[in-house]
Amino acid sequence: MTSSRIASIRKFIVFTSIILFWEFASRIGWINPFYMPSPLQVVKVIIELFQDGEIWKHLSATFFAAIVGIIGGLAIGIFLGFASALTPIIAELLEPIMIMLNAIPRVILAPLFVIWFGIGIESKIALSLILVVVLVFFAVYNGIKDVDQRLIERVQTLGGGKWILLKEVYIPSVTAWIIGNLKVAVGFAFTGAVVGEFVGSSKGLGYLLQFAQSTYNAALTISLIILIMAFVMVLFSGAERIENHLLRWRPQKKAIH
Amino acid sequence: MIKVENLSLEYDKGNPILENVSFTVQAGQFVSLIGQSGSGKTSILRAIAGLQQPSQGKVTVEDLSSRVGFLFQDDALLPWRTVRQNVSLGLRIQGEKLDSANKKADDWLEKLSLFELGDRYPSQLSGGQRKRVAIAQVLALHPKVILMDEPFASLDAIVRTRITQELIEWVEQEQITVLLITHDLEEAISLSDAVHVLSPGPKAYIKASHQVNIPRPRDILDTRNSSNFAPLLKTLWNELVGERKKENIIKFGNEKKIKA
Repeated sequence: MTSSRIASIRKFIVFTSIILFWEFASRIGWINPFYMPSPLQVVKVIIELFQDGEIWKHLSATFFAAIVGIIGGLAIGIFLGFASALTPIIAELLEPIMIMLNAIPRVILAPLFVIWFGIGIESKIALSLILVVVLVFFAVYNGIKDVDQRLIERVQTLGGGKWILLKEVYIPSVTAWIIGNLKVAVGFAFTGAVVGEFVGSSKGLGYLLQFAQSTYNAALTISLIILIMAFVMVLFSGAERIENHLLRWRPQKKAIH
Repeated sequence: MIKVENLSLEYDKGNPILENVSFTVQAGQFVSLIGQSGSGKTSILRAIAGLQQPSQGKVTVEDLSSRVGFLFQDDALLPWRTVRQNVSLGLRIQGEKLDSANKKADDWLEKLSLFELGDRYPSQLSGGQRKRVAIAQVLALHPKVILMDEPFASLDAIVRTRITQELIEWVEQEQITVLLITHDLEEAISLSDAVHVLSPGPKAYIKASHQVNIPRPRDILDTRNSSNFAPLLKTLWNELVGERKKENIIKFGNEKKIKA
C-alpha cells in the first residue's frame, strides 16, 4: 500500500472518530446541544435547508459575488501590476496605496462599502474584489520585478527582442505567480462575499449566518459554516487542479503527511 | 574571428576592473582565458556578448548578428518549456517555422543522446542532462562563434569529461571559433590552441599568452599524455600562483602601513 493511501486511511479514521465521539458526547449529555448540536442534528438542518429550496437563493448570491470578485480582481490586479512594473511613475503612485491596503485587514472596509454601494450585491462584490486585487497586484508586480535575470540574458543571447522576452519570459513568469496564488485568491473572494453579507444584506450565506447568530441558532450556524467550508474546498480543489496542470513544469513538491 | 582591442570596464567610476585588454581569436581557433576569481574574466565575455557596455575600447565579433552561441555557467533553460521547446527556442527566434525548428531540435537531441527526454521539463533532468540541453540549444543554431563561461564547472568529473569530449569533436568538425573562460588550467590546455593569462583584478590585464602545441583532433584524456602538457601546466600554474603570492604581500604591506 502506498504511503499516501495509508495517510488517507489514517485521516479518515481520525476524522470519523472525532465525529463519533462528538455524537456520543451529545447523546449522553456531556455537551449542551444548545451551544453544540450533535452531528446528526447538523446533518438534519443541512438536509432541511436544501429541501425547502430557500438555500439556493443565498448560495447563488454568495457565489455570484465571489466569482465576480475573483474574475474582476484578477483582471484589475493583472492590469495594475503590469502597469506598475512597466511604468515607474504608476508604481510610485500605486505601490504605497497597495502596501497600505495589504497591511490592514481589508475586511474593515465592509461597512464603508455598504454605505457607498448599499446593501445589495455591489458592496459584496466590491469587498471581494479589493481583497483579490491587492493579492494579484503584488503577485504580478513581484513576478515581473523578480524575473530571473539569467533567463532574460539567455533569451537575449539567442537573439530575442522585447516581444520575445515578454512572450517567453515575462508572461510565463507572471502566470506562475498568479496561478500559485489562485487558491488564496479563491479563499479571499469568499471571505469578501461572506463578510460583506454579514455586515449588511438581505440574502447570501453571510446574511443567513448573521440571522442564525442573532437567533442563537447554533445548529444553523454550524450547518452554514460546514456548507461554506465544503463549497470553498470544492473551489480549492478546482484551483489546485488548474495549478497542477498549468505549473506542471515546477519541481515536484514532496507531500507532507 | 573575435577581436578585443584596449578593452576597459568599470562598475564604479574611476575604478576599472579591466584595463587595456587586447587579444584576438582567429576564425576556427579555440582560445582560453584563465585567471583568478574576481579578475574580470566573465565581464570580458559579457562585454563581447553585448550584455555589458565597455567604458573604453572596442569588441568586434565577426557575424555577431546570427551565428554566435553563448554557453554560461548556469544552464538557464526556460523552466516552463520542455526540453524540445528549449532547444528549438533559438531557431524559432531566428524565424524558423515551428515544425522545422522542432525537427532540427530533435536531431540535436538525438546527437546528444537526449531524444527520450524531449517532452520533459528542465526540473525533471539531472545537472548533466540540463547542461547537454543547453549545449544542444546553442549548437542547433549552427554558430560560427561560441563564447563559453565555465560551462562545465558545476558538473562531476565523469559527466564533465564526456560532455567536453562531445563538444570538442563538434567544434573541431565544424571549425567553430571558441573563446572559453575558465579557472581550470587542465581544461584550458586540453581544449585550446592558445591560452591567455589574466592578471588579478582590479585593473586586470593580459600578462601572458601561450600557444598549445597538441595536435588535433584531440581526445580529452589523451591530451594529458602529450609531452607539451605538463610543462605548460607548470608555467600557467606559476603565473597564476606567483601573482597570488605577490598580491598577498602587497595586501599585507598595505595593512601594516594602515596600522602604522
